[in-house]
Amino acid sequence: MSEQNLGEFEQIVLLAVLRLGEEAYGVPIRREIEKRGGRSVTIGALYSTLDRLEAKGCLTSWFADPTGERGGRSRRYFRVEPQGLEALARAKNVLDRMWKGVRLA
Amino acid sequence: MAETFLRRLVPGREGEIIVGDLREEFAFRGGGRLWYWRQVLSCLAVRISPHRLTAPDSRQDFHYALRVLRRNPGYALTAMVCLALGIGVNATVFTMVNELFWQTLPLPQADRLAMIGRTGEEMTCSYRDYIEFERRTAEPAGRLFSGLAAFDGMATSLDSEGVSQIVMAQAVTANFADTLRLPAQVGRWFSPEDDRPGSDPVAVLSDGAWTRRFGRKMSAIGQRVRIESQWYRVIGVAPPSFLGVSPPHAAEIWIPFTSQPYVRELLTNAGERERPKVQLIGRLAAGVTLRAAEAELTSVDAQIRREFPRKDASNGKLTAAVAAGASMPAAREVAATIATLLLSVTGVVLLIACVNVANLLLSRSAVRRHEMAVRQALGAGRWRLVRQTLAEGLVLAAGGALLGLVVGVWANRLLARSLPALPHVGKVNLDLTVNWRVAAFAAAAALVSALLFSLAPAIEHARPNLTLSLQSEARGWRRMRQRDVYVVAQVALSLCLLIAATLLVRALEHARSIEPGFAMDHRLAARIYVSEPEYTPETGKLFFARLLERVRSTPGVQSAAISYGTPLNFGDSTCSAVDRAERPRRTGSDIVTPGYFQTIAIPMVRGRAFDVTDRLESPAVVVVNETLARRYWPDDNPIGKTVWLGCDVKGPRTMAEVVGVAKDAKYGSLEEEPRPFLYRPLEQSWVGFVALIVETAGDPGAATASLRGIMRGLDPNLRVYEVRTLEQYAEDSLWKVRWQASLLGAFGLLALGLAAVGLYGVVAYTVAQRTREIGVRMAMGAQQADVLWMVLGRGLRLTVVGIAIGLLLSAASTRMLRSLLYGMSPLDPVAFAAAALGWTAVAMLASYLPARRAMRVDPVAALRWE
Repeated sequence: MSEQNLGEFEQIVLLAVLRLGEEAYGVPIRREIEKRGGRSVTIGALYSTLDRLEAKGCLTSWFADPTGERGGRSRRYFRVEPQGLEALARAKNVLDRMWKGVRLA
Repeated sequence: MAETFLRRLVPGREGEIIVGDLREEFAFRGGGRLWYWRQVLSCLAVRISPHRLTAPDSRQDFHYALRVLRRNPGYALTAMVCLALGIGVNATVFTMVNELFWQTLPLPQADRLAMIGRTGEEMTCSYRDYIEFERRTAEPAGRLFSGLAAFDGMATSLDSEGVSQIVMAQAVTANFADTLRLPAQVGRWFSPEDDRPGSDPVAVLSDGAWTRRFGRKMSAIGQRVRIESQWYRVIGVAPPSFLGVSPPHAAEIWIPFTSQPYVRELLTNAGERERPKVQLIGRLAAGVTLRAAEAELTSVDAQIRREFPRKDASNGKLTAAVAAGASMPAAREVAATIATLLLSVTGVVLLIACVNVANLLLSRSAVRRHEMAVRQALGAGRWRLVRQTLAEGLVLAAGGALLGLVVGVWANRLLARSLPALPHVGKVNLDLTVNWRVAAFAAAAALVSALLFSLAPAIEHARPNLTLSLQSEARGWRRMRQRDVYVVAQVALSLCLLIAATLLVRALEHARSIEPGFAMDHRLAARIYVSEPEYTPETGKLFFARLLERVRSTPGVQSAAISYGTPLNFGDSTCSAVDRAERPRRTGSDIVTPGYFQTIAIPMVRGRAFDVTDRLESPAVVVVNETLARRYWPDDNPIGKTVWLGCDVKGPRTMAEVVGVAKDAKYGSLEEEPRPFLYRPLEQSWVGFVALIVETAGDPGAATASLRGIMRGLDPNLRVYEVRTLEQYAEDSLWKVRWQASLLGAFGLLALGLAAVGLYGVVAYTVAQRTREIGVRMAMGAQQADVLWMVLGRGLRLTVVGIAIGLLLSAASTRMLRSLLYGMSPLDPVAFAAAALGWTAVAMLASYLPARRAMRVDPVAALRWE
């Protein structure tokens, strides 16, 4: 279970959640990815990835109190778990090692 | 609208979250319907994402179910054991059915092996026709089969180093092993040279024969064994798993087809195109389907008939089927009736087990009503609760199935030991092991049972009556009713089985009381064989005369005679006609020595029995039975009349004079109708494979040893196959009904046990529910006896209703057993009454135990309760 490898998009999502800290729920996560990653993300793709990461144990989520601006609907906040951090670190290490000494063109 | 669609797509809280997110962003972006729709559609991915499909909910259901069962081990174990018994007996019977109908031969690519049969015929074609079929349809010239072999099975005598036995032998063509891709365990199979008339006779032993006769020694190769009058040299041993191509009969030995003396004789006779007959088995060539093979064979069959016209051609059509299960149509027929009966019986047992579990779940659901109501109040959907119940049911059923397979393995062993031994062919040989097909069957049975027994509680749980259930004093009288219905059904169903079993036991007794028309008690038969080259007909007759003389002079022997057949076990037939021009008709026949009628106590009605004056050179004589006399000479004295013996109208027939009329008897089986029968003197028609029948003064079993001594004294090499009492033969002939009676008896008792547990459970539950009421009654002055009768009465009322329904059901269904009842009525009142009374006794006991507990209720304690 602990030796999970992350896909690229999974890494991006995890990093976005990490960057946002306390503020990580659906809307800002998407904006963060669009702003920094320069790619547009559909909400479906985002939530299916978030669900998957949660199932893997990399994330946990909880529901906050409903707010008025959302028509009385609550937000689902995410937090990266130690397992997620470990997986991210591993992914970075792998990439770093692979890049070492590689020069493009 | 998009929002509504989204809510449909992603139900529950997750949907709410997404809708909220989208709203927020929609406001932030300031519009964009297209964008919104794209986001909504993208949620399809959320919906079908795999970890959502596996529904963590259902995993939770199972987790929860496991926890509940772990917390109530007694309840879980009782339910699983009930199910295991039900599933176990079904798995066992299914193992047998699978072996008898679907199990392919233990050979490579066995599903490509086709049995070629002919409708309405035991045998497929003549040996000469087989040669034509082989040449035209099998490689290299033909394209239908990669190999086409012929075989014929027979019960025959097999002798080796001091062991003489009647066994199943198979005569096969040389390409038999190649066609089947059958290796030899030791030595080799037949080569084409071995299967040529005139070659040195050789044989391949089964693993069993090798073990029993030669102790698995390599030196068995090259040893000689004898089938009938011919010696064979052992050249190989078949693998242990291979028991021949005619399951469930296990072959003991294989010989080349043309090594049989009678075959050689027929094949040298150019006119004999019809005989000998064979069965065919072929391995389909690559890409050839069964249907294509059948069509092609039919056209080849027509060709062969055109080229070789014959007078008594069969009209049967050729058929091709994968070689699986019992190969002989007759065996399949017997197996089908047995299988239908047993499967319906075990189905009923499983049903009763399911009802037990349903009852158990219902009483549990009463306990858990509170819990369910709380969960419902906390927002669990109705479907969720139903699912929860089903999950529990599935866990129970899975446990039941696993345990059931254990029960099945054990029951298989028991069944394998009790498989019946058939007259002549020996013990039925079935490989009763649990394989994937049996496991799949058990799983399916478990699934169906899970649905059956969780249905009622599931519906119960789904019923929305929160407030009622939250009150702890809720008394579900509805549920009580439901449980009553269950118990009544159980009583009725198990009574049916009990009645069926009782009927068979009665039928067995009835069959034993059928007057056979000859005396069985104090009579012994020894099957012996004298043949060439040691004996010629002349020396054989002399030997028999000496043997009879010695035996008759032995103390304790009243009389002795020799006959070809043994009554109710082994017989022969010939054809007879009163007029030469008339078409001969099948007639049972036996060949006997003088003194036979006296020894076996068949009275002569008219004329005389055979005596020493009936010699080979004197005029041919016969003794006929009453039925035959009536058939040919209804109003005339048959003595002195002539009959023509022999089936072939063109061939030579014997004319014989009737010298006596014997009383009718049973010849082949106890239930047979009177049939025409005639006897010929051994002096005039020689046969060497005979039974020495001895009437003893004392216990016939005790005479066995001295009889064997006398025979060995006269000829140390005399082949003696079996020495048994006539009563044993009669008992053997009842194998089918006896076997069914024992199986049905076992299943009936199991059903009775399960149903009794069910009844006990319901009555005990009532007592538990009414403890307070009983306490009040006793406080008001009710006597212990009143309480006892109150509880007993409840059990008995249910039983009586169940018995009434059971009797009606039985009356409608016992007709299925008619063929096993030896003419007894399927509505035999004794069997019905005995089974019903038996059930009542069991019901009394099952209700008495809780009743006793009710009697001991302490009014003070009962009233303090709550």
